[in-house]
Amino acid sequence: MLDVDDIESYYGESHILEGVSLSVERGEVVALMGRNGVGKTTTLRSILQLTPPRSGSVRYDGTELVGLRTHEVAEMGVGWIPEDRRIFSQLTVEENLRVSVPDGSDVADALSVAFETFPILDERREQAAGTLSGGQQQMLALGRGLVGDNDLLLVDEPSEGLAPQIVADVADALAATASETTMLLVEQNLPLALDLADRFYVLDNGRVVDDGDADAVSADDERLRRYLSA
Amino acid sequence: MTTVLDAAMALLLQTGFVDGLIEFVQPDVLVEVVVRGLAKSAIYIMIAAGLTLIFGLLGVLNFAHGALTMIGAYLGGVVMVLTVGSGTGPWARLALFFVAMAVVFGLLAALGGSIEIALIRPLYDRAPIYQILLTFGVTLILEELVRIVVQFYGLQPIAEWQEALGTIPVFLDTSHSLGPISVRGLALFEILLGVLTVAAIWGFLTHTRYGLFIRAGSEDSEMAEALGIDVRRVFTVVFALGAGIAGIAGTLLMWDQVWGASVPLAADALLPAFVVVIIGGLGTFRGTVYAALLVGLVDATMTWWFVNAVEFSALPQMTIFLLLVLVLILKPQGLFGVAEVGGH
Repeated sequence: MLDVDDIESYYGESHILEGVSLSVERGEVVALMGRNGVGKTTTLRSILQLTPPRSGSVRYDGTELVGLRTHEVAEMGVGWIPEDRRIFSQLTVEENLRVSVPDGSDVADALSVAFETFPILDERREQAAGTLSGGQQQMLALGRGLVGDNDLLLVDEPSEGLAPQIVADVADALAATASETTMLLVEQNLPLALDLADRFYVLDNGRVVDDGDADAVSADDERLRRYLSA
Repeated sequence: MTTVLDAAMALLLQTGFVDGLIEFVQPDVLVEVVVRGLAKSAIYIMIAAGLTLIFGLLGVLNFAHGALTMIGAYLGGVVMVLTVGSGTGPWARLALFFVAMAVVFGLLAALGGSIEIALIRPLYDRAPIYQILLTFGVTLILEELVRIVVQFYGLQPIAEWQEALGTIPVFLDTSHSLGPISVRGLALFEILLGVLTVAAIWGFLTHTRYGLFIRAGSEDSEMAEALGIDVRRVFTVVFALGAGIAGIAGTLLMWDQVWGASVPLAADALLPAFVVVIIGGLGTFRGTVYAALLVGLVDATMTWWFVNAVEFSALPQMTIFLLLVLVLILKPQGLFGVAEVGGH
């Protein structure tokens, strides 16, 4: 479904991705792991063409994404649940979802999907999204991905900055979301990531240094720890 | 200490402060001042609304906004002068005014959209100073072009265009009395247009899908793009809308003797527009509306005060700037501003 082939990406003059290749098959949850600053977020941004790669290719269902604009990538069914959630805090919960429904789709249908998956959003639908708790904002961000009629969700650090008991809720929300779509998941919380994922990639210094089946490793394995612990 | 207070009291009495206060609170005076203030507020809202919409979404301080207002005033004047004859009745003149407004809105929106696509779009990734210099340059070019055209037709570019002023219907040009209160028709018309403009913009922003895109994009344009919104196109539409609203404001000012169509109108409109937008908080439409109400009412009060009660006629012109300084000291981000606005 998604084939990232040898992409190199820069922020200004700093070389962030030095030839990243990975693939995601339809229906899979793939975890992308690694320390802070190794290029996980940049990989997602490069797929979305928010940070277009200077070389290499990103193919989605056979179509080359490099050269397209971000909204075109989004229209093809690639959704983004970014780090820090980036919900529109001044808009209501419902407006946050509404803005994510593609042109031509039935808004009421799309909203009911999100509200069924995350009933708390239905209770708060008239509330300004900025007044939600961190966990609720994460559910809204995931809900936005759901109503976007996406086939592939790029999820970035969904458990970051949340209290442990909220993380469990978010893990449930992720599992619910993953049952609907394919997912490429960036997550520092190893047990959470391995629990959800079918396969994983490990990124270090802008390169993929390891990959494999999630079942074959555990969070304590030296194989993962040497790339992940600080 | 008491001597200082005594001296101050004496000065107040001497300058007519107490007499002024007694006169000011008379109902007829108060109502007149409020109506004048609301008329000023309406004008401020109309010249500032486009500026604040553009800044809120694009993060661009459009220094050409005043020039667009000025061009709107001239174009509106052209439509009126060409269509209104001495025999045209007052209601026909009013109807033609709305035709002029629609024409000017269309032309200015097209001009604004073209400026955005051709000149501003290549500069979004640069520092704001590039956009400021660019739009400032656009102002100079537009002003010179208008000056050349106006002079070619034998008009004085510095003075208000009298022929355009003369197309105003008689019932807007005269004062109407209601008991002891006397109000100029144009002031009421300006208030009406201001209310309609605010209602139209507010309705568009909150009740249409495109308005939702604009509000989302104003908060986080990258996220909006990642949700499938063609933010570049939304930018162009908003710039065109902002320019169109500036044109509508100009059409209205063409009828107002205090303003009138003239080349210096560009600067005369830009300055209060910036003051209002900054007081309200850059980029918030709601803040701009409240700020325009505040500035208009304070302006009208001070004008009455320093003309009728205390002789100091230079002060009213400074009032809005004093208000600006006061707000910036007490609340630097503006009355309704958030710390960070703008799409970039």
